[in-house]
Amino acid sequence: MNLAFDLLLIAALLWSAGRALTTPDLFRAVVLFIVFGLLMALAWARLDAPDIALAEAAIGAGLTGALLLDALGHLRGPVRRKSGLIAPSTVMSSEGAGPPAFPTYFLNGLAIVLAVALGLALAGALLLLPEPAISLPREVAAAMDASGVAHPVTAVLLNFRGYDTLLEVAVLWLALLGVLAVAGGRAPGRAPVTPRSARASLKVPRLLARVLAPLALLVAGYLLWAGAHQPGGAFQAGAVLAAAAVLLNLAGLLPGGATPRWVLRAGLGFGLLVFLAVAAAVMGQGVLLQYPPAWAGALIMLIETGLTLSIGLTLAGLFLALSGASRQ
Amino acid sequence: MLDPLPWLILLPLFWATLAFVRGPGRGGRLAVAGLLLQLALAGGLARQVAGEGERVYAVGGWGAPLGIDLAVDGLSAVMLLLAQAVALPLAVYARAYYAAHEEGARYFWPLAGALLAAMNALFLAADVFNLYVTLELLGLAAVGLVAASGGAGPVTAALRYLMATLLGSGAYLLGVALLYGAYGSVSLSILAPLLGADAPLAVFLAAALMLLGLMLKTALFPFHFWLPPAHGGAPAPVSALLSALVVKASFYLILRLWLDLFAPLATVAAAQLLGLLGAAAILWGSLMALAQTRLKMLVAYSTVAQIGYLFLLFPLATDTGSVASASAIQGGVMQALSHGLAKAAMFAAAGTVILSLGRDDIARLGGVSSRLPLTLFTFALAGVTLMGLPPSGGFTAKWLLMSSAMHSGQWGWVVVMILGGLLAAAYVFKVLRQAFLPVEAGTQFKPVPRLLEWPAFLLALASLLLGLRAGEVLGLLGAG
Amino acid sequence: MSAGLLYALAGAALFAFGVAGLILRSHPLRKILAFNVMGSGAFLVLVGLGQRDGTADPVPQAMVLTGIVVSIAATALALALARRQREHGNDKEERDA
Repeated sequence: MNLAFDLLLIAALLWSAGRALTTPDLFRAVVLFIVFGLLMALAWARLDAPDIALAEAAIGAGLTGALLLDALGHLRGPVRRKSGLIAPSTVMSSEGAGPPAFPTYFLNGLAIVLAVALGLALAGALLLLPEPAISLPREVAAAMDASGVAHPVTAVLLNFRGYDTLLEVAVLWLALLGVLAVAGGRAPGRAPVTPRSARASLKVPRLLARVLAPLALLVAGYLLWAGAHQPGGAFQAGAVLAAAAVLLNLAGLLPGGATPRWVLRAGLGFGLLVFLAVAAAVMGQGVLLQYPPAWAGALIMLIETGLTLSIGLTLAGLFLALSGASRQ
Repeated sequence: MLDPLPWLILLPLFWATLAFVRGPGRGGRLAVAGLLLQLALAGGLARQVAGEGERVYAVGGWGAPLGIDLAVDGLSAVMLLLAQAVALPLAVYARAYYAAHEEGARYFWPLAGALLAAMNALFLAADVFNLYVTLELLGLAAVGLVAASGGAGPVTAALRYLMATLLGSGAYLLGVALLYGAYGSVSLSILAPLLGADAPLAVFLAAALMLLGLMLKTALFPFHFWLPPAHGGAPAPVSALLSALVVKASFYLILRLWLDLFAPLATVAAAQLLGLLGAAAILWGSLMALAQTRLKMLVAYSTVAQIGYLFLLFPLATDTGSVASASAIQGGVMQALSHGLAKAAMFAAAGTVILSLGRDDIARLGGVSSRLPLTLFTFALAGVTLMGLPPSGGFTAKWLLMSSAMHSGQWGWVVVMILGGLLAAAYVFKVLRQAFLPVEAGTQFKPVPRLLEWPAFLLALASLLLGLRAGEVLGLLGAG
Repeated sequence: MSAGLLYALAGAALFAFGVAGLILRSHPLRKILAFNVMGSGAFLVLVGLGQRDGTADPVPQAMVLTGIVVSIAATALALALARRQREHGNDKEERDA
């Protein structure tokens, strides 16, 4: 029974991914990709990975989907001929160029052959693999008492491999920097270039947003608190916060923009600064990110709270900067 | 006393975040101060390594395989020194540059800080998954820097660069997944003794995926397609950082993996293939540089060529006996260092010329020799290193590589290196010849601040003097 | 065959899909989708292969959480660049007209 479900789910995963990459219509491709993200969340649940399932649904399918849908209107169709006009017949087909020339055919064929060979080699390699020599789950279980939290994934994420997470928070912040630099770098006075149909697919009623946003705040708080002993934590909580901001934006209650004021900048940098400060402060007693055992739980909670705020702001910022920049 | 090792990662992150919070365009002075401190820290760390040998640092106190280890040996100490030594003068240069030319300045300092943190973290990492995170941090920072001016050319180049770097890190990540599946650990020190020539197929695939991904990021021929528009189109301080340092970071990782982790899997055929790609890069990159009409594109293609030399070390260091192998590795690392210093100087000098002249057509450089003599001298000095003339660091590098080739009887590589040197001379003189022509009628040279010219000159001088101090550098390299 | 190994195999296929898409498709949005599919494939291999004996392994799970955040970061940056590129394309057309 389980096997049948797994096989069905995998077939659906492969189908949605394959169609998302091949269907001629970009809108359908994005929708299929969101379906793919939701199916991935299901797959993570099947793999005993509820933390990833939550993150995948919220970030992988939800926020990525919102970003993609919002970008769709700006990226679909040919380059405009005259201002405000899109040639109607070519709106839906996206990459419509002429038939590719011979070398393109040859190179495309080569790429397909290589990809198939890679897939087969990987499959063979996976099937032939013996059991590993080291069992990290056992090491994790043995060290859980000293970790300051009760949930193993959180222990790995914020204690055993907390340094990865520190750098990862920097990656997220960095992406926002890049987006702000690109989206906000426009010369002033230039008219925005937004096709009229751009955001038609993304309308949210104000009432719904007004109800859902405070609810999201509650959920985020719960996820943050729960992360210490069960699935959840800063990333999931931050994603929910960001989703609330995106909803408010779509309902017209929160303006977008690509030039954050200093309070907002401080909020965006806050999580990273708290993390860095804790990482540095504990070095007085030992090494980088070595929490004193008695303080581990409290310090992790402190870091996660800062991170929730900044991750929420950053993820929301990615969306608001992108959608705001095109409508200024 | 401050432990330099963790602070080399934390410090740039601190000043990057603070620069961001202070606001667009702010934070230059903070960055210079931070980099001064970082240079001192890297020096301190190098002294530790020279004295006590390799050092392992268990983040969080856990230790591998549960936690993440950082490690520093001679190779990483040398690379850390290079990164800080190149970045400090470039930061001084960038302050002057962006004061005169605001485009792309708004988020330069936070992006540059993140770039340096990523690089230092990469040189110190001893864990293949942690290395993946540093690679992503480095790649996104570099792409952000290229795109920051927002112009049509740079944005297109940045998008292409981003796709290339994401494909590269994706392949690398799959390699990590396979290694974890095979051995249950991602720590280099745990994995290395477990790997043998009898490793399962998945491990060979992992090696191929990781090395291919990194070759794409290093822009080794034929994966160089993204480099010239990205390095040639970015603002000069960014071009300098990327060409001098960022491609060296992924090269460092290839070298590290080849020597430490995948050594039992390395075959002569694979090494020869890397060497052949390197040779193709030298010839193709040099010829393309010679064909360019724009100054910064010429310098960018020269980077494609100079990256090629780095890969000659693989056929010279694999199964060739200890003497030839040691000299090949020393030569490759010397090449990374001297090219880093020289290319930073060259891009900075090119940026000064462009700021002063307002254009970068090579055919219209007349008068640069009389109006910007120091900058032209900088360009020529850096050229000496690229050509491999004594007493430059480039000469030492190529000498070491050539003597290794002669020692192992691989004469083909010697011919390639001599040809590469001649072609480098041709493209450097192409620029110099134009610069010595009289000033074109109607050309205005804008005066440039001294802080734009001197940092570049110091970098070029350092690339030259590196050859005289090669003994100390190689001593440090061999220390751990 | 354990569920872990099964999903790892699916991950290998998804990775190959993504690589092919990244190389073959020219539209930036499609390349972004392809890169995300490729990443998901690598994540499935990481967790699935680590759990092929059937017990949950928090270490690769935490790594995939890191990876998902990196993916959305890269996706957002890529979208910003693609949109800017398109705006430049529009501007150019306007100037030419």
